[in-house]
Amino acid sequence: MLRFLVARLTSALLAAALSSLVVFVLMRTVPGDIVAQMLGQAGDASAAAALRGFFGLDRPIHAQFVDWLAQVLQGDLGRSWYQGKRVSALIWEAFAVTFEVAAVTLVLATLIGVPLGVLAGIVEGTRLDAAIQTFNLVGLSAPVFWVGLMLLVGASAVFGWSPPFAFMPPSVDLADNIAIVILPVLSLAVLQAAAYSHFVRDCMVAELRRDYVRAAIAKGLSPAQIHFKHALRNILIPLVTFMGLILIQILGGTVVIESLFSLPGLGRLILSGIQGRDYPVVQGALLFVVAIAIVVNFVVDLLYGLIDPRLRP
Amino acid sequence: MTHMFRGWVARGAGIALAALLASGAAAQDAMIYGKSDPAAKSGGRLTVGSLTEPPALDPYHQAADARIRVTVLAYQGLFFEDASGQAVPLLAESYTMSADGLSYTFKLRRGVKFHTGQTMTSADVKYSYDYLRDSKNGSPGAGDLSTVDSIEAPDDSTVVFKLSRRNGLLPITLTHRYGGVIPKDYFATPDARTKLNEVSVGTGPFKLKQFRQNSVLVFEKFKDYWQAGLPHVDEVTFAFMPNSAAMVVAAQNRRIDLGIFTRPQDAEQLTRVPGVRLVRTPSMNQRSIDLGSEHPLLKDARVRQAIALGIDKDAVMKASIAGYGQVIGTMVAGMQERWGLPIAEAPNQKVDLDRARRLLAEAGHPNGFEIELTTIIGYDWMDAAAVTIADQLQRIGIKVNIRKIELGVWVRNFQNRQMGFTFNDWPSSPDPSLLYYRHFRAQPLGADFRNWNNTKASELLDRGREESDYGVRRGIYNEFQKILADDVPTIMMFSADLLTVERDRVRNHQQHPTGWYFSLIKTWLAD
Repeated sequence: MLRFLVARLTSALLAAALSSLVVFVLMRTVPGDIVAQMLGQAGDASAAAALRGFFGLDRPIHAQFVDWLAQVLQGDLGRSWYQGKRVSALIWEAFAVTFEVAAVTLVLATLIGVPLGVLAGIVEGTRLDAAIQTFNLVGLSAPVFWVGLMLLVGASAVFGWSPPFAFMPPSVDLADNIAIVILPVLSLAVLQAAAYSHFVRDCMVAELRRDYVRAAIAKGLSPAQIHFKHALRNILIPLVTFMGLILIQILGGTVVIESLFSLPGLGRLILSGIQGRDYPVVQGALLFVVAIAIVVNFVVDLLYGLIDPRLRP
Repeated sequence: MTHMFRGWVARGAGIALAALLASGAAAQDAMIYGKSDPAAKSGGRLTVGSLTEPPALDPYHQAADARIRVTVLAYQGLFFEDASGQAVPLLAESYTMSADGLSYTFKLRRGVKFHTGQTMTSADVKYSYDYLRDSKNGSPGAGDLSTVDSIEAPDDSTVVFKLSRRNGLLPITLTHRYGGVIPKDYFATPDARTKLNEVSVGTGPFKLKQFRQNSVLVFEKFKDYWQAGLPHVDEVTFAFMPNSAAMVVAAQNRRIDLGIFTRPQDAEQLTRVPGVRLVRTPSMNQRSIDLGSEHPLLKDARVRQAIALGIDKDAVMKASIAGYGQVIGTMVAGMQERWGLPIAEAPNQKVDLDRARRLLAEAGHPNGFEIELTTIIGYDWMDAAAVTIADQLQRIGIKVNIRKIELGVWVRNFQNRQMGFTFNDWPSSPDPSLLYYRHFRAQPLGADFRNWNNTKASELLDRGREESDYGVRRGIYNEFQKILADDVPTIMMFSADLLTVERDRVRNHQQHPTGWYFSLIKTWLAD
């Protein structure tokens, strides 16, 4: 177990280091920097030079990277060039928003998608199965921003209602918070529920055709026992892997949905950071995203062992 | 007796003159920020939907128009740029210019308080403008003050600007685009720049309450503001809308009181909502096409002229902003009356395909050529305009390939003077010199982004900057505009109207043609 952990941790650190180098270089290869953004069509060469010096952009790129890395290793992600706030504080603030949306979406999507998929798998070939598959297809092919936009416009047209714009954490104002996150969660959950349902149905269908199921039927086990005790249990492993993927996908989907619903989450933080060439924010936030992806994958690996003793290291 | 009489007369005249001056000054003061409404009531919270968000609130180092829009509420210059583009004394009460035009003496308003509680003195004014004009401090506004040699503060309420060259537009330069008067030595602390996102330190009618990136910006009434009775509303909240669909929905459901829309179709949609009105204001913005002379094809003036003659500005305007704007010649709509050359007098404004073809043939392109036209991602109007222009130029044998680039890339090309053939979207500059000088004055005094290098035009721009008499300046700029229209380093197509959607309860909102939110200071809310 320890060897497994050490190997996992090493590869995780390597991935993080490599991706931060890529981000660092990429950000600086994108034409235009914060100075160009600040001065726009105004300003002259000496003002630009002064600002470049102020942000340390006049130094060679490797020196900038070494400084940044040293800072990160000391647990300091630096400060936003525009906002002046600590990047770590900005990330936490934004992540709280993204996490809330992602977590609620994941729960909702699982609660809708898994039962639907199991049901479709059991009743394979029937009209109900076809109906569920149609839902899957529509859900999978509708782009998330379109679903979001339709919900926004639809809620306004039907109920004469639209969400408030200033984000409130649930601890400050729960009612407002729900009003703000309900539409983004719904738009993401529809898509992910469809993905779940599609996946679970396929697994279920494949599982129900296996020999042990036939044996179980021959032994006279009840359908409920076969479906839920045996088949469902056996698809848990791929399901957990899939859940990890879905979570990462939801986090990606929030970038779009946050922009649509004006949520101050991680996606918008990164997006506005890129647009404004706020390097410390983009570098810090992307490092954080990489860390999350690594942690999610790691947890999924650990869960395997929990579900299937054969996979325990 | 005679003596006494004369004394009385003199004293009486003196009093009358003083009264006249005082009433004149009071009348002028009353016009700052637009007309006052005698029925105005105080109180209430105003919510403004905004499609643009300032990256930061530092008026000294941020050139973004989105920043200027909102910081005019918290920071003030010595002058206010009124709707016609004139400089009206603001923190300065009055000023005099020396006979040689090289010295300006400003009398400051007394009793002006900063948001920090300190009282403004001449030392603060001197510090602020000294900081702004020193290019080592990296302000985009430094170039505008390059003619200032030194600033003196002989007493608490007097400031003297000494110039190295005459500069007739000094007053309009001391307005709101960049800088503003702040307490002395403010920038001495290292985190002062970014602190401005948390606390405002200006003298304006509103002070900053909260700025949450990607969410809201809240200003509250500054209780010690020097103009009695202003502002009317207690709080202004800017809600940053990520897209126009969200803003339309917010306006429909009364989540916002006011908002400037950029796409006419969105604003039009809202005119059908009861209790909401659409207000169109001619603006000082400018949608144009630039023709950089570094481009192998565009360096020939005949080619540039042919392109101008091939473009039907009205059709482009209708295609890209549904007609919600004004076609322009060589001056933005908001300043056409005061500074513009009448369009009928400007060359190359009307479509003339035969002449265009002749010019192309003379330039050695009898069969036309292919050229790349750049548009910027996120500027919706450019897409429709590009397609229309490609169609129009096809008629004279020019095949236009449209290339879409990101704003950061475009700005870099611009600053490197590699513009080529590109669309441009200019924010407001409330004076012809501020509008033209940096763009068209040959280097090194100007930036000459289009590599135009026109000696005659540069000479006129220099003269226009030095002159302070309005009539003479107007003549100079008219002459300049003739050259601009004739030689075509740029094709100014139209100014898009500011489309403001207001709820009924919003009263006395007078949109400023710059689009900057001066208008909120005298706005009030009916119950």
